[in-house]
Amino acid sequence: MTAAGDTSGGTVLDLDRLLGMANQIGDFFAPYPAARRAEGIRNHLRTYWDPRMREALLTYIDNGGAGLQASVIEGARLLRDAAAPAKGYYGPPQA
Amino acid sequence: MTNKAKTWMGVVVAAALSVQPSQAGPLADAPSQTALEPFGSCRVCLVEIEGRRGYPASCTTPVEPGMTVRTDTDKLRSLRRRVLELYLSDFPAGDVPDGWSEFHETLAQCGVSTHPCGDGANHLASPVDLSNPYFLFDPAKCIVCSRCVRACEEIQGTFALTVEGRGFESRIVAGQNQPFFESDCVSCGACVQACPSQALVEKSLFEGEYRRAESS
Amino acid sequence: MPNPAKPDRSVVTTCAYCGVGCGFKAETREGRLLRMIPWKDSKANHGHSCVKGRFAFDYCLHPDRVRTPLIRRSIDEPWQPVSWDDAFRHTASELRRIQAAHGPKSIGAISSSRCTNEEIFLVQKLARAVFGNNNIDNCARICHSPTQFGLSATLGWGAASQHFDSILRADVIMVVGANPTEGHPVFGSLLKRRVREGARLIVIDPRRTETVESPHCRATVHLPLRPGTNVAVLNSIAHVIVREGLYSEAFVRERCEWEEFEGWTGLVGADRYAPERIGPEAGLEPAAIREAARLYAGGPNSAIYYGLGVTEHSQGSTGVMCLGNLALACGMLGREGVGVNPLRGQGNVQGGSCLGSWPHVFSGYRFVTDPDVRGSFEREWSVELDGEPGLRLPNMFDAALTGHFRGMYIMGEDPVQSDPNQQHVIAALRRMECVVLHDLFLNETSKYAHVFLPGSSSLEKEGTFTSAERRVNRVRKVVEPVAGLQDWEIVVRLMNALGYPVHYDDASQILDEIARLSPAYRGMSFALLDRLGSAQWPCDEQAPEGTEVLHTERFPRANGRGTFMLTEYVATRERTNDRYPLLLTTGRILSQYNVGTQTRRTANSRWHPEDRLDIHPEDARARGIADGDWVALTSRFGSTRLRARLTQRLNPGVVYTTFHHAESKANALTSDLSDWATNCPEYKVTAVDVVRVTEHRDAQHATPARAADEVHA
Repeated sequence: MTAAGDTSGGTVLDLDRLLGMANQIGDFFAPYPAARRAEGIRNHLRTYWDPRMREALLTYIDNGGAGLQASVIEGARLLRDAAAPAKGYYGPPQA
Repeated sequence: MTNKAKTWMGVVVAAALSVQPSQAGPLADAPSQTALEPFGSCRVCLVEIEGRRGYPASCTTPVEPGMTVRTDTDKLRSLRRRVLELYLSDFPAGDVPDGWSEFHETLAQCGVSTHPCGDGANHLASPVDLSNPYFLFDPAKCIVCSRCVRACEEIQGTFALTVEGRGFESRIVAGQNQPFFESDCVSCGACVQACPSQALVEKSLFEGEYRRAESS
Repeated sequence: MPNPAKPDRSVVTTCAYCGVGCGFKAETREGRLLRMIPWKDSKANHGHSCVKGRFAFDYCLHPDRVRTPLIRRSIDEPWQPVSWDDAFRHTASELRRIQAAHGPKSIGAISSSRCTNEEIFLVQKLARAVFGNNNIDNCARICHSPTQFGLSATLGWGAASQHFDSILRADVIMVVGANPTEGHPVFGSLLKRRVREGARLIVIDPRRTETVESPHCRATVHLPLRPGTNVAVLNSIAHVIVREGLYSEAFVRERCEWEEFEGWTGLVGADRYAPERIGPEAGLEPAAIREAARLYAGGPNSAIYYGLGVTEHSQGSTGVMCLGNLALACGMLGREGVGVNPLRGQGNVQGGSCLGSWPHVFSGYRFVTDPDVRGSFEREWSVELDGEPGLRLPNMFDAALTGHFRGMYIMGEDPVQSDPNQQHVIAALRRMECVVLHDLFLNETSKYAHVFLPGSSSLEKEGTFTSAERRVNRVRKVVEPVAGLQDWEIVVRLMNALGYPVHYDDASQILDEIARLSPAYRGMSFALLDRLGSAQWPCDEQAPEGTEVLHTERFPRANGRGTFMLTEYVATRERTNDRYPLLLTTGRILSQYNVGTQTRRTANSRWHPEDRLDIHPEDARARGIADGDWVALTSRFGSTRLRARLTQRLNPGVVYTTFHHAESKANALTSDLSDWATNCPEYKVTAVDVVRVTEHRDAQHATPARAADEVHA
């Protein structure tokens, strides 16, 4: 997906780079219990990632998400479920 | 910080090497982070303390309750002048007028401008160390007060400077008697900052090559 | 000349170099800068100085300084000098053209930690209010962004908990990934003084630095860990503290989130973090890890000081969290002599963090995703603001390569030399249609720029810096700007040219705006700083003269409690193998400063005329390398050539170099890996091989191209 007025097409970042970054985030949240892990990943993506990067990740997940950690897929999907946009947050993931 | 328990009578006096009756008075501030430890070598901050013999240096004398201290008697003025005249006997005469270092200010405050004993032995033959790109060391203007040595140790913590020899022969050396640039000196400038007589001085204050003043 | 020239004027200002933020009196005579004298009343340096701040100021007057704006259509053409008006008009029309063609998010801005708070704040405003996006970042991204993330997560504020003088109350000093005697010399002197007075010193660093051993100062414990194993080692220290019950239960119960603490003890207390397991992986004696843990926990006052050796890793933010966790667990926060303190490389890294040069937070660390916060900025700036985070600096380059990012305003940075994976950065810059560089000198990045705006040095402008101890210091104009405008005026003029009407009579009004929009700076003003000399944030109604020690009663988190993060060790993907058997780590030395823009233009280069590759004699012997030989250094990303220096300061298997000289191209080697949370690059670990080469290379000694050579006059 591209932002309005953007004529370049394709993902905003090279897809491999994006997936690598996503899995690194997954690595960090791995020791947390499942619900908090997913929430932590969601919050991180929401707070720090340009929306085009999040959208590219979600599109990739919609197409199967090969190579992504399960927790990253779960966390990213929460981006769509959340009713209200979360405010940014530092600290351990709260579920 | 180690001397926080004691208040030295003349911290300000010694640090500034300037003797004014008001400053040698009651209490000086506790030493600041980078003030040098009291040392008592220059003998300019002498005082009289009622009930004690002699003329102790105020910088190394702890303050005690009930002390009566005199800083500006005829005797003290005369002693100080003698001390300063001795310093002057080994200082390039051409560099005395128009100087603006702490040493020069002290000379002016104590009314000393010449030494009565004529040209004494001096260090004019000692070469100027120009090796550091930013500051120079002119041994002829060094009064061997050791402030630079102490600044290098106490403030910078590099221990690059020492006093070598004794008496008239004593002099400041860097590293293993090396030019500053080749020594362990890290060029922090603490010694230049501490030097009262502009023997250690920034090169940027001079235009062109450094030359000693002609004798006047 | 019998006597030295006597200065006729003296202006108190702040050093432009490292994050200690020393106060200096700039002494002039007839308008010419004579010397810089350390200011005795400065609460940062108390009259002390180092070779950079004290003496290395000649770069300000260097003939290489660019004195007029330059533009060109393409980077293959020579520069054309133009008037300021033409430069602003041209830049504005180019940036707007790109946005019209490629969308509002196709341009962005980066500011630098060499800029004043006022300038950094304005560049944020330029991106958010004028470009209309949050593509704003600063070079703290590539050094201390993990500090903001890791300390905010555990302690609530991404800043040093102490003032520098606090170290004089410390009984145990733990230095991690920092070399203060070279990188932060004035603070290094204070540290050595405290060690001479009897404090014990723990140093965690792959190198036996001068901090580890120097006259009358020796570390009680040195952990020369293998680069990349920080988190494992810090978790192992935590393991000992947890298993041996050395933590402060009272502090944790009273001040922290107990349940998070229990989660943390479960993680670090696991057998996999026992020193006997981690020691071999990190190249350390298990007993040394245990000794470090016992010393730190025993205090009674233990203080942590750390540098880029913690942050510049793929687990940089995790490493910072480890330090926050340790201090909380042992109750080493909230009083003098303790704390967790980042040592900031550049003069205004802390200010860069505070003043909103981030794609996700406004000044004052408040999230762009928060509608209330956004509202307060929208009211002040009379414009609607984007509620989505923008691109980070490395992602701007990434997005340039995919065609999504085409214009960039760069203030006071040289990303080609300083950012990792140089070829990638160059390729990205080549793809951009308008690169605007605002700096003192033409540099490596200007080769790829289309507009050059000549900036003012810190001696030529008004403003403030925020030092590593959160101290806001005044920067005062000593001489006139060589190109006619102060940097903040340049940003304002650019905003105006882009159609955003804004006006400040002087820099003090910008700080006033900062104070209105940033809670921790609420009480700051030029008037206050002129009266007090300096003030540490937070400075507000509760602390009208600022705050020396943070976290004395509560942590600045919603519930007032400190918290623990789960810091699992994840080894970096950058690993040695048969082809790249050595680990390269990088750093800097006393006489030079970062990419050397300033110091290489001073006599400081006499101490450090070239970057050398430090290599252990064993590794050198195996490769037939003698001291002074030229060697080729190759990583998966690129290669460069340096002369070797044999030294036992490193363990076998590790090599080290500085990155002060552009010709050394240290960042041609560094990888594209970065911190999981912040994208701070992993400068500190690169797998390389080193081979001896016979041909001599003169490139290091070549003079950089002069501005005049490249300009069509």
